[in-house]
Amino acid sequence: MSVTVRTLDELLTPPTAADSPLSTQEYFVNMGPQHPIAHGSLRIILLLDGETIRKVIPVPGYVHRGIEKMCEHMSYRKIITLTDRMDYLSALMNNWVVARTVEKAAGIETNARIETIRTLMAELQRIQSHALWWGVLGMDLGAFTAFLYSFRDREIIGEIFEETIGARLTMNYIQPGGLMYDILPDFVQKVKKLLAYVRPLINEYDTLLSGNAILQERLRNIGILTAKDAVAFGCTGPVVRASGVPYDLRKLEPYGVYDKADFDVVVGTKGDCWDRYYVRMEEMRQSIRIVEQLIDNIPEGPYMVTKYNARLKLPKGRFYGQMETARGVLGVFIYSDGNGDTPYRMHFRSPNFNNLWAVTQIAPGWRIADYIAIQSSLDLVIPDIDR
Amino acid sequence: MSGFKDIERKQMTLGGKSIPVAVVRPLDRAPSAPSVLAGLARGMRLTLGVFLRPWKVVTRQYPENRQTLRFPPRYRAMLTMIHDSQGFHRCTACKLCEKACPNGSIRVITRKGLIDGVNKLDQYIWRMDSCMLCNACVQACPFAALRMTHQFENAVYDRRLLVFNLNQYAGPPAKVLSAEPDTGRRRQMMEPRGRYEGPLPINESLRPAVSEVKDAPAKDTPA
Repeated sequence: MSVTVRTLDELLTPPTAADSPLSTQEYFVNMGPQHPIAHGSLRIILLLDGETIRKVIPVPGYVHRGIEKMCEHMSYRKIITLTDRMDYLSALMNNWVVARTVEKAAGIETNARIETIRTLMAELQRIQSHALWWGVLGMDLGAFTAFLYSFRDREIIGEIFEETIGARLTMNYIQPGGLMYDILPDFVQKVKKLLAYVRPLINEYDTLLSGNAILQERLRNIGILTAKDAVAFGCTGPVVRASGVPYDLRKLEPYGVYDKADFDVVVGTKGDCWDRYYVRMEEMRQSIRIVEQLIDNIPEGPYMVTKYNARLKLPKGRFYGQMETARGVLGVFIYSDGNGDTPYRMHFRSPNFNNLWAVTQIAPGWRIADYIAIQSSLDLVIPDIDR
Repeated sequence: MSGFKDIERKQMTLGGKSIPVAVVRPLDRAPSAPSVLAGLARGMRLTLGVFLRPWKVVTRQYPENRQTLRFPPRYRAMLTMIHDSQGFHRCTACKLCEKACPNGSIRVITRKGLIDGVNKLDQYIWRMDSCMLCNACVQACPFAALRMTHQFENAVYDRRLLVFNLNQYAGPPAKVLSAEPDTGRRRQMMEPRGRYEGPLPINESLRPAVSEVKDAPAKDTPA
């Protein structure tokens, strides 16, 4: 696969005659920046022939807040608050990847309690994030009931976060050197209650949406992303796993206490929307499995190993850390010049940015209605693309 | 499950590492007409079941249920400075919260104490309009002088109304005041502070003008 870099002006060449027996013309349609299926501000330029897509040109940048630049003026503790605002559906995992990279660079040793709580929280949020995706996919394809059901269950997990952390979305919980708060004494009991509640719900989701032949027909064999293309585009997370590549950092480079838990990496075979759908459904069950194994033996220890007001000084050098969020690999690159507690340069390798460009490969040839299914199955969070 | 075939568990290798995988093979052909209808009927039965059980409704009637609304103790909303039963706060104006704030929402203004000449808290200005409730100030405070309250309804028509003066008086912290036996002297050390009525936007106006900096001696310029 060769990559050619072109400007937007070059891409938007004057429309040509389409190759259909009718004397039709190709034309451009702007999908977005304000479109319900973008779940944010993402502009997609579609080159259409009738209803068939010929070319897809994503134009990100409408939610660009310059987080990477802002990081250069902020200490490492303050950067955590910004990572909440990238992929807000996996905010805890975003916090964690920065915290872990800073800890590794500064030589801070965390204890088993911190790592276990971090893993538990991350897996709970993965369930929450996938549940939201399931509802939103239903809504994108015209099944509004799914959206209400998923939000009902998302709130139950949100309440646990609210009790432990004090916030539901932008939590700022996992910090360099530990956690903001210790877990409450009834946390274990509440999570067990939650698991008992959530497990039958995933079967309920299957009954409601997966068993629906209309939904199946709209997802099956649509937008096939081959394993080769998925790897070439740098897709990660459920998108690349649905194409049959068992790429999961929780297994490949275990962090936290994932090496203590027994779970399977869910992979698909074909790489169509239907595979991506089912991979996420099964990942929810695997996350429940991980939480079940870890919840009973949370070790004792302090929840913060550094003083909050202590300056986090990183040595001079380049540091990279990566982690599996709900959408794929989030990498963080820190270039520290060794003086001060701010990075000289900070870069985030966000999973959604790479996953987005898969549409340019898989969407052409399908209809507009299929494009909705394709983009929805990629599970894009736009603020993470733009940062 | 409906629409799915079984999950196959096996080992795959990637990067020289053997990984246990669960291969999902969802139904790869259109289901037959009876099973289509059965699948739709199952979904309908589920929604109808919820419809017929109104006691399972989870919706909270928010504006009406204000009286019964309860928040967990750690819930983060409006920032406040803790004042004890005598009306004393614990802030020593060390400015650690100001340094910890990611977006400059806190400004601690100090003054020389009227009696002892030590730096004291004059105004604790908190801008709710730029605050993102990250809890950094509460975590940074070594004297536990700050707390997040549960008051979350703070919509106003003018963002200038979202600038608050959190301290009720200017002067020394509770530790110093409670050690002072003389009531009159204690009252002399405290100066009441109401809501913030200073210049807006404060970030620009509190900065000294260029001419002021030139004229005034260096030690008097605000930090």
